[in-house]
Amino acid sequence: MTTSIESDNQSGSVAVAILRITLGVIILATWWDNLDGGLYQGENFKGLLDWLGKSVADGGNGGSLGWFHSLLDSVVAPNAGLVGGVQLVIELAFGLGLLLGLFTRLSSILAIGFFVSLFLAYFGGEEWIWTYVLLAAATLTVFLGYGGRKFGIDQALQGKKSPFGLLW
Amino acid sequence: MGVLWLFSLRWKLPPGFDGRGETSLRQWLELEVAHPAFGFYGQLIESVVLPNFTIFAWLVFLAELTAGISLLFGAFTRVGAALGLAMAVNLGIGLLEVPGEWPWSYAMMALLHGLILLSNPGRIWGLDGLRTE
Repeated sequence: MTTSIESDNQSGSVAVAILRITLGVIILATWWDNLDGGLYQGENFKGLLDWLGKSVADGGNGGSLGWFHSLLDSVVAPNAGLVGGVQLVIELAFGLGLLLGLFTRLSSILAIGFFVSLFLAYFGGEEWIWTYVLLAAATLTVFLGYGGRKFGIDQALQGKKSPFGLLW
Repeated sequence: MGVLWLFSLRWKLPPGFDGRGETSLRQWLELEVAHPAFGFYGQLIESVVLPNFTIFAWLVFLAELTAGISLLFGAFTRVGAALGLAMAVNLGIGLLEVPGEWPWSYAMMALLHGLILLSNPGRIWGLDGLRTE
């Protein structure tokens, strides 16, 4: 016996489409808030990275994964302007992809990577870490459920070959 | 989702339902009263739930335990999903205006439970599969 997600894989499932559209709205609403607050600008982006790694006593979030914060400090922070700009574009791209159901599987992979990186950055801190688990799990469901094939532009691409099945 | 509910029990364990170093269930309820998104809900918590805290704390504990076990093992999954959906909506309504809370978390929780309710995934890698074979 198959689940409705499995049996609907070829045509997409309404429930997964609703999940995809909601994820798109969440990502784009957060993106807009971040853009409005200047978060993607070099200094502000670097400030966020500093806050993530600082202890709660020092006014930070208190993330506990030292190796990940070392990586952020050594690789991302010196290039905060560039990384902030790239994140601005990629976040917008996979947000729109999920909202519109365009290249949904690729958008899902990018979004999962983004949510996993947020999970690692916030882990051990004051934030409710399950938020990022929920977001990653929801996006994985969209990926596995071919979420763009119902109420999405991918529906029109369905008959065409998707390289390794990773685009739509 | 099953792991999430079971993991969240650690700061609301009976008989004390104290936070064990984290914000306790009673403190969360008091935050809901202090920052209500809907007046009626804040009044309900203040006049009905908090005066009968122990009864409601047991109800919350048992509901989350039931949902967690049901979803983790895929047993009566739709019941667990319906319970989880109701609790996610309740959390969303109660915590919408509490400072530091991100309401989208509860929207996502509710949607995932809705999806589980519709697709009944307990039939794969779950005990529900034994009943449907």
